[in-house]
Amino acid sequence: MLVFFRDGFYKDLILLLVITVVIGAVFAQGIAWAIDAYFGDTLDGMIGEYGEYDVILHIREEAKEAALRELERIGNESFPGYKLNQTLTIAGQANFFFGLPEVYRNKEVLESITSYFGAVPGINGYTLMVEPSVLIRGVHPAVREGLTEQIQDLSGVRFVVKDGVNLVVVLTSDDLISQATHQIEEILENYQIVELRFPMGFEVDTQEVGEQALAVLRSQGWAQDAFYQNVTSAQYGEDLDAFLKTLVEMRDFLGSYASQVRIVPKSGVQLGVGELVVLEEDLVIEVTGVYGELVEGMIVEGAPTQSTDKIVLKGYRYLGEGERGEFVGDVEIENERYRLAYAVDESLRLLAELEELSVQASTAVDNADAVLTTFQEALMQLEVLQVQMRQLNEGITGGDSKSSGEEFLVTLLLNGLFQTLAQGVIHTGEESLDSLQHLDIEEMRKSLTGISQQISNVQEIDVAAIMEQIGFVRDTLPNLNDAEIGQSIRLINTYLGGQVIPGERVQLLVQGSKLDEKAVEVLFQEELQNPYLHTYSTSVGMVTPDARGEVFRILKEVRSIVAGLLSIIFTVIVLVLDHATIFSTLKYIQRSARTGPKTWLNRLNPLYLFGGMLGSVILTSVYYLSRSRIPYLNWSSVLFIGFVLGVMIVTWAERFSPVDSMELMAGQCLGLSNVQIMREVVVPPSRPGLLNLLNRFKQQF
Amino acid sequence: MLEICDLHKSFGKVVALDGVDLKVSKGETVVIMGPSGCGKSTLIRCINRLTEPDSGKILLCGQDVMQLEGKELQQLRRNVGFVFQQFNLIGRLTVLENVIFHLVLDGMDRAEAREKGLSVLAKVGLETAEGRRPHELSGGQQQRVGIARALVTNPEIMLWDEPTASLDPILVGEVLEVMEELVRSTATTMVIVTHEVSFARKVAERIVFMDKGRVVEEGEPREVFEHPRSEIGKLYRKLLSH
Ligand SMILES: Nc1ncnc2c1ncn2[C@@H]1O[C@H](COP(=O)(O)OP(=O)(O)OP(=O)(O)O)[C@@H](O)[C@H]1O
Ligand SMILES: [Mg+2]
Repeated sequence: MLVFFRDGFYKDLILLLVITVVIGAVFAQGIAWAIDAYFGDTLDGMIGEYGEYDVILHIREEAKEAALRELERIGNESFPGYKLNQTLTIAGQANFFFGLPEVYRNKEVLESITSYFGAVPGINGYTLMVEPSVLIRGVHPAVREGLTEQIQDLSGVRFVVKDGVNLVVVLTSDDLISQATHQIEEILENYQIVELRFPMGFEVDTQEVGEQALAVLRSQGWAQDAFYQNVTSAQYGEDLDAFLKTLVEMRDFLGSYASQVRIVPKSGVQLGVGELVVLEEDLVIEVTGVYGELVEGMIVEGAPTQSTDKIVLKGYRYLGEGERGEFVGDVEIENERYRLAYAVDESLRLLAELEELSVQASTAVDNADAVLTTFQEALMQLEVLQVQMRQLNEGITGGDSKSSGEEFLVTLLLNGLFQTLAQGVIHTGEESLDSLQHLDIEEMRKSLTGISQQISNVQEIDVAAIMEQIGFVRDTLPNLNDAEIGQSIRLINTYLGGQVIPGERVQLLVQGSKLDEKAVEVLFQEELQNPYLHTYSTSVGMVTPDARGEVFRILKEVRSIVAGLLSIIFTVIVLVLDHATIFSTLKYIQRSARTGPKTWLNRLNPLYLFGGMLGSVILTSVYYLSRSRIPYLNWSSVLFIGFVLGVMIVTWAERFSPVDSMELMAGQCLGLSNVQIMREVVVPPSRPGLLNLLNRFKQQF
Repeated sequence: MLEICDLHKSFGKVVALDGVDLKVSKGETVVIMGPSGCGKSTLIRCINRLTEPDSGKILLCGQDVMQLEGKELQQLRRNVGFVFQQFNLIGRLTVLENVIFHLVLDGMDRAEAREKGLSVLAKVGLETAEGRRPHELSGGQQQRVGIARALVTNPEIMLWDEPTASLDPILVGEVLEVMEELVRSTATTMVIVTHEVSFARKVAERIVFMDKGRVVEEGEPREVFEHPRSEIGKLYRKLLSH
């Protein structure tokens, strides 16, 4: 049947095939490329061309002008030929893309970005975006060096940069990303971190437990070829530890400020943890603990009246928004926060009073001092008076005076006067004066001075500063109501619930064959005699494709899929427009040919085989040349699809492109050769395709 | 000129030719008649291998037709003029092109072919229609183009497969006229399949009756129509007497 083409049309056919395949590839590739270019350009506009920039510097928005100047200075000084581009500003953070000239694109520079850019005004950090690269996140410090060396030795790896806990593997070509990723994953696969965690409250010597655990593993002979290492207390995970510990502290801190809720259940009422109780003032309590008769809870909705005293309210079972059930008991609410606030307020008042008091006290001391002085003077005058009085008294009663008559007279007069005086006053006054004289005035003065000294000491204290500080303390009391505190505690608990709070943690590095974490957990629980420990298996690092690499990979994939689909569509079009004509001619020829005996083999029409092969050849070549790639379609499936398409076209050839058997017969009967029949009779009126187009060059009529 | 021996042809289960023997001498005009489906078209198409016979022997101009392939077969076909019932013109070509395109493809100079073409078109009375396309012509005109196309190579033998069967009765006459004229004016061997009884009687030197894939009777027109021996012949006589 193919003999039909032997006299020349096969050349046309071959030419057709070649041109079909080339055009198909160009067509499929072209459209795919256009799609690629469109998306690629959009992407480049946002984050630069692939490999154009190496570092994204995050700068606070308000500092970006200053930062720009500084970056330009650093660029000119340290990296002549650098590229700088300010792109998106997101959430108050400007992002500068910095591209290093090729000579500076090396490990040393990339590992010391901070030393170059640390002083840029407003800098908030940086992100490495060296391309092409593969990023390994969270690399365990115990293996970092070893990994770096191994990865460094992979082909296509330029260098490996340490970036915090990550490793950035810079490659020589972006074609190598998937290969390198695969190889790195294989290397990482060799390691495993088996972590033993003890719940909070178990104080164990992690180093020692680590060694014990290793000994257990060795004695059990698990995975002979594996290589174990105790890597406990490495820095790894400290951040998380700290965070979780902070959360616990935070929870306790918040808890201590929340109102203390105690429920006194009515006899016969059972309350369980987590149950809700609604109170008279629209408060909702969640039961947090049941200790026999004592039930504790926390407020999760509403705010109690602020009171330093204990509030007692009636509690009912909570049945939903605004609905209350049976009475469950009295609920006592006490709030330390209000008490503290009250105490602080009182202290502030006291301090103010104290200052006032000290001023008054010092005035009082001064006054007392003045009184003493006056008193002392008065006392001395009294003494003088006493002496005179005594002399006078003697003079009056003694009489041995040798004074003149004048003197005597005065004395006498006076004597009369003082006699009465002395009789009445001095008699008694003698005693009083004596006792006054016995008062230790100096001593009193001394102690007064002491008091005044102390008062001035008090005055020297900066009460204002103390008051300010206490005021500050008062202000730092959480400005949260009970419901908010309750919600926060709930939230923290939910988060912590998912974590074994890393009280104590032991890490073992396993190299070689893997340990089954659950199997070793049982082993360790037994051997280390701690049923509470848990084991977890983690990897020593995670390979993550860099965002842009990923976008590009997806773009490439989309491009290949589009090209693949276009290849199939193109093949169908070509088969329908061109080859259907040829097949319907061949089928006609076949029908008029001599019919031999119908054997089994004869039924296997070679035309279908030919059609299938043709379909396979066209589709596979176009698919290959247009660099198509459809996931889950390997080459044999592509061949198969082509084959099926070809067979389908042969089957329905006349429907797609009927030949006029009359004309064909006329051609035959006029003695035309087959190639002439094809070129002049069959093809010209056929569907407008490549075959038809190419035929125009050969056609004579 | 033409000698057919024990020719067989089946289409699947349908036996179209069941051992046909036929001899035609040079210059003779033979008319083949028979009921529809008896195998006339199949027989006539087997002569130039438009249909491939299953078995049997065909000698044409001394050549064993069954042995011919490729170039030789083409050469043979060029020597045989064939007129189809459905005209089988090439729709996209003009009248003149239809008549001469095989000459040009065979290597003849276009001008020379044109001249030849115009002269045969004149013979069938269509010299003015050279630039028209088949679909612009009446059935009779189209068939005359078909006749011109068959004539243009001066074939040694002409095969006619019911040339008037698909024509409007009014148009049949013009074609038969052309045919009669041809038979009279040329010495070309003619094998004509037709149902036109009176025409057959007029032009045929011999009539061949076929039925069910076999030749059932043959002889001079007068003889076979007046004293038919076969059932078919008797039917035709009836037809003629009415
Ligand atoms: N290409 C074909 N495929 C299948 N069967 C065919 C084919 N050509 C002819 N036949 C069958 O062969 C038998 C003979 O057909 P043929 O056309 O030779 O008859 P015919 O005598 O020319 O009839 P008609 O007067 O109608 O033209 C018929 O039964 C026909 O159905
Ligand atoms: Mg017929």
